[in-house]
Amino acid sequence: MSTPLIPQVEELILTSYESMYRLAYSYVKNEEDAMDIVQESAYKAIKSASTLRNPEHLKTWLWRIVINTSIDFIRTRQEEFTGDLPIEPSTEDRYPDFDTIEALNILNDRERAVVILRFFEDKKIRDVAKIMGQSPNTIKSILYRSLKKLKIKLSEGELLYER
Amino acid sequence: MKDERFEEIRHDYQTIPIPAELRERVTAAMEEAKTELASSASGKCNSASLIGGQKRRGVFSWRKFLLRTAGVAAAAMLAITIMANSSESIAYAMSNVPILKSIVRIVTFREYNHSNEEMEANLKIPTVSIEDENGQPVENATAQLNHQIEDYTNQIIEAYQNDVKASGGEGAQSVSLDYEVVTDNDRLFTLRFNQSIVMASGTELVKIYNLDKTTGNLLKLEDLFQEGSDYITAISDSIKSQMKSQMAADESVSYFYQTDVPETDFSQITGEENFYISDSGKLTLVFDEYTVAPGYMGVVEFEIPTEAIQGIAADGFVK
Repeated sequence: MSTPLIPQVEELILTSYESMYRLAYSYVKNEEDAMDIVQESAYKAIKSASTLRNPEHLKTWLWRIVINTSIDFIRTRQEEFTGDLPIEPSTEDRYPDFDTIEALNILNDRERAVVILRFFEDKKIRDVAKIMGQSPNTIKSILYRSLKKLKIKLSEGELLYER
Repeated sequence: MKDERFEEIRHDYQTIPIPAELRERVTAAMEEAKTELASSASGKCNSASLIGGQKRRGVFSWRKFLLRTAGVAAAAMLAITIMANSSESIAYAMSNVPILKSIVRIVTFREYNHSNEEMEANLKIPTVSIEDENGQPVENATAQLNHQIEDYTNQIIEAYQNDVKASGGEGAQSVSLDYEVVTDNDRLFTLRFNQSIVMASGTELVKIYNLDKTTGNLLKLEDLFQEGSDYITAISDSIKSQMKSQMAADESVSYFYQTDVPETDFSQITGEENFYISDSGKLTLVFDEYTVAPGYMGVVEFEIPTEAIQGIAADGFVK
């Protein structure tokens, strides 16, 4: 193995797999699929570690893998369901025991990911921007819009506060 | 001003339960990726890392990847001791070139994985490298320790392979081996192996290597004491008094000491037990199952208070 980054990637995954799982879960809303996504993401990350030139980007890069893998997953499944089979509203598609998170379903995938990364994973706006491949300004406006949809009022300070 | 509902959503998100098997699955996925990288790099399948019968079945089919023959819990445990042996360490001790401030590193680990039906083996085998303070490899000591590790792990693999053969692959057995660095300070580097064999019941085996970084030698228990001192009695007495007080304090604790069957009672250590010295300088002995306690107690460890061996301990190890 020629890439010295693999141990670093491995360590990062071992410290963040729980967060990766929650994010994946927010896309697919069931345990099995979320675990598959995390596994696939971990697999992809190790396999492609050598393509990462700048280790500084490791963290944002890993999150990006999780998001892309989640989106791929949903797309693959939708393709499987195209045809005459209607997509049944699955009983699985709920957060178990968490009525409050259901509120997030009002957001689209991108908005939800931005809200989660910014407020639940405490990422800096700059990093969220990198993960999502958007400019910081776009991320800010996604945040304003999302909070409005959620009917949540945060002060400007809370929205932009970075620890 | 905090929005309460938002705080609630945030809290519920952050407490989405994590399935217990997730970590294991993630680790398996990473190992799979590394194995593939390694075999594509070397252009051939590395015999030390064959993943028998487990193929990745395309994207997103990880859930079947891990064939867990779970449910066979390691109920009982057993520890055996294979002490750092003799001739080689002694030969090296003769040449005794002091390696001051040497650095010991785990440089690679290879894996031995095998599985079919109800039999599986997962071994992690580290390779160490020892360097002196100038970063130069100390070849003798490195080769010696790696050789010991290899002998030890080969024995495990061989025993497993014999069992597979003997049962025609129809047996039920799971063998795993993992390692940890217990101590790594100026003087000592201690590598501990934990092996578990799950068949009808479980067995746990421990093997500990203590490397004296200043000499490159693997330590024996006797090396921690002044020549001619009766460390056997001192340690044995300490252990017996610990057994007694632990049993008095907790009914669920049981040792072979002052039982109805005095013949099998613990009388004294053999001197060949596995041991380690913690970073804070405390000596701990690790015992085989059944040698000092009933099986349910598993591998048992006794930390020997430094006062108990004061006056007979050699300089530099126990504090």
